[in-house]
Amino acid sequence: MENSKMPDSRREFLVRLLEGTATATVLMVFGPGVMAHGPETGGTERADDADHKYAYIIDVGKCIGCGNCVRACKRENSVPTDYFRTWVERYVVREEGVYVDSPKGAIEGFEQLNKRFRDNIKLSRTVPKMCNHCHNPPCVQVCPVGATFKSPEGFVLVDRDYCMACGYCVQACPYAARFINPVEHKSDKCTWCYHRVKKGLLPACVTVCPQKARLFGDLNDIDSEVSKLFEADQWMVLKPEMHTDPTCFYIGLPREVV
Amino acid sequence: MSLPGPKAHIVRLVAVLVGALFAFLVIKEVVTPSSWNYKDWYRGDALALNSSYEAAYGGNQSCVTCHEEVNQELAEFRHQALSCESCHGALADHVKEGEKIGDAVVDDASSWQCLNCHDAQVSKPANFPQFDKEKIEEHQEIEPDMICTACHTPHDPTP
Amino acid sequence: MEAIGLPGGALVNYIFPNNAHVTWSIMIVIYPYITGLVAGAFVLSSMYHVFGVKEFKPIANFALVAAFSFGLFAAMPLLVHLGQPQRAYQIYTTPHTTSAMSIFGYVYSSYLVLLMIEIWVIYRKVFIEKANETVGNMAIFWKILCLGITTYNPESAHFDKKLAKFLAGIGIPWACLLHGYVGFVFGSVKAVAWWATALQPFIFLSSAIVSGIAMMFLMYSFIMWRRGQGYDYALIKKFIITLWMAFILDYALEVLEIAFVGYEQGAHWAVIKPLLMGPLYNSYVLGQMGILSLGPLLVLGIASLLDIKDKALLYLGNLGSLMLVFQVLVMRFNVVVGGQLISKSERGFVDYEFEFFAKEGLLTAGIIMVAPFVTYYIISRFIPIFEGKSMDTEPKRASM
Repeated sequence: MENSKMPDSRREFLVRLLEGTATATVLMVFGPGVMAHGPETGGTERADDADHKYAYIIDVGKCIGCGNCVRACKRENSVPTDYFRTWVERYVVREEGVYVDSPKGAIEGFEQLNKRFRDNIKLSRTVPKMCNHCHNPPCVQVCPVGATFKSPEGFVLVDRDYCMACGYCVQACPYAARFINPVEHKSDKCTWCYHRVKKGLLPACVTVCPQKARLFGDLNDIDSEVSKLFEADQWMVLKPEMHTDPTCFYIGLPREVV
Repeated sequence: MSLPGPKAHIVRLVAVLVGALFAFLVIKEVVTPSSWNYKDWYRGDALALNSSYEAAYGGNQSCVTCHEEVNQELAEFRHQALSCESCHGALADHVKEGEKIGDAVVDDASSWQCLNCHDAQVSKPANFPQFDKEKIEEHQEIEPDMICTACHTPHDPTP
Repeated sequence: MEAIGLPGGALVNYIFPNNAHVTWSIMIVIYPYITGLVAGAFVLSSMYHVFGVKEFKPIANFALVAAFSFGLFAAMPLLVHLGQPQRAYQIYTTPHTTSAMSIFGYVYSSYLVLLMIEIWVIYRKVFIEKANETVGNMAIFWKILCLGITTYNPESAHFDKKLAKFLAGIGIPWACLLHGYVGFVFGSVKAVAWWATALQPFIFLSSAIVSGIAMMFLMYSFIMWRRGQGYDYALIKKFIITLWMAFILDYALEVLEIAFVGYEQGAHWAVIKPLLMGPLYNSYVLGQMGILSLGPLLVLGIASLLDIKDKALLYLGNLGSLMLVFQVLVMRFNVVVGGQLISKSERGFVDYEFEFFAKEGLLTAGIIMVAPFVTYYIISRFIPIFEGKSMDTEPKRASM
């Protein structure tokens, strides 16, 4: 990709940099060339943001539950302790029922499972969770003041300067992806690292995933990894009965996962 | 003195209400953010706000601009697909405005980062290299405080 | 922890990490409670003003002023609850109409204005008297309250009475909207199984009327006892029968809801049954649906149907009302907090603990709950609320 094809938003960003108003150190240090090359860019680039159809794909079969994503998310987004924009759950399906845990959101990964639950298992997987960036987001519907919204690119975002922290969105989200930030007293959630994607980077969790279990890209780019996986049509979404129409897709999702 | 009309108080009440309504509408107009998106109902400036946050993780491309030598070696490494920052920490903790502000060396006093991925667990994919506790303890019988990286190169660990 | 009583075949209690904290706590419990008292008191006051139930004449104005006193504080718990209360005005400036909560600002404010106008119309004569009797700052205050018209035109009386009736008339659907909509705020959340039922607005509304009538009964008894004025037993009997019938309707709806979900054996029941048998057993099964419902049904039923008179009637009425005031409070708790105890993991329940000194703790709740009574007391120092049996808007006292 050539620099001349940079989207307007990035061009604006660089202009602001030159004016000395921006503080984004990454671009300061390494220049735009680095950002615009290689696998770190999030899909194809077009002039109009609405032309993107971003999707997040989680390949459950690849996840090893290391918790790198949770740690990176905490660092990238300054997520307070005990609250999570993303977390990883461990499912252990046994004859007598389902064991699920997510110690501290798996920020330190998982300890070896208690022997009582380890033997005679039918299935066990670790499943990353996060905001599903629904097409039909209940959180946006219920926000009384328009402080959470769907961006033109399809990201479900929170306006921190407008949120009054009533908590209705927290109630409305079927995925418990939202919380009231106990430090800022505002609604908080995964943004798909909107600030990174707009700079041509991938979400932090995708960047650090050692297994490529987390993929982010543009479904309008037919050559992207997400497009190929999506086209295979073996994906599932969480809680389809909620009719939220998520844009976060799971591959190899065990039916026990809620 | 003539009495006020039987509905004089109502006229005044209506005047007060209309005045209050007008004041309310004026205030509403003034305090509604100028960038308000009436179609999708949000503050237009919120987009810029959300993209204004600094990125902490730079991705491997950011690392190789300074550490080109590692990049050359990496092409051959078993761990080549990994993100440098997942073990070495976020770029923002290492470099700020072109200046090094902190080390990005991995804690070599313990093996937790190795075991974080490679500790054997039932939930991990079967084809993923895993080492169970017994095997690790076997190693440690040789030397109790032994850590993985004493023998295995972290960038290119051979079994 | 063993798997007994957990939904979804869970072997251990598993809640989503972000569910560990109950986002809506005591403040959101007392918010619909106070709103309900407003709606209930208003409906009671309309019994006389609109439907002309003569027995309720002595308390029609009292219930109206009480409704206003509660109304002033209905939004207070919400403000305390908000993380950014200074932004609360946004619900007026940019109400997001897809949100069930967004109309609250408008419905609530307009209802308060309606209450104020009705009280103003009914008490205007008193305001004019005060404006002419007092001097200094108080005179200015009363004059402003009269909107500068300090002589009372007897012809106004007839018009004022008609206007009061009209306002009380539109006030009933307005009160129903105010409180039915509070039920809608909860009932429309599909993600919370214990809330999501179309019956929720009706349950909230009927319980609001019950709590309002019961609270008015307690306040009436207390005030009459303090004034040593003697009780109006015809009123008390009517009070008790009305309360009993309102509660029968309310209880029927509450039973219907749970019976329906239970009989349906659907996805919701899978998490609601262990909730009711587990964390909510004491407060819902024993409290709300058990003692605090069957008790009042029995006590008020006896008081309504049997030939009970005088003090015995008063005591039974107070006992039933006291239980109902708590029944509705516990019901609000069971709905608001209970719904959040089901983790959205559908495999575990959240552990809720009461806080006392926290911002949204019981102490704050207590202060907010006491405030309307203090307000009522202050208002009653300035305007006559009970004045024997003759205090009303009849034109016979109009000439000054």
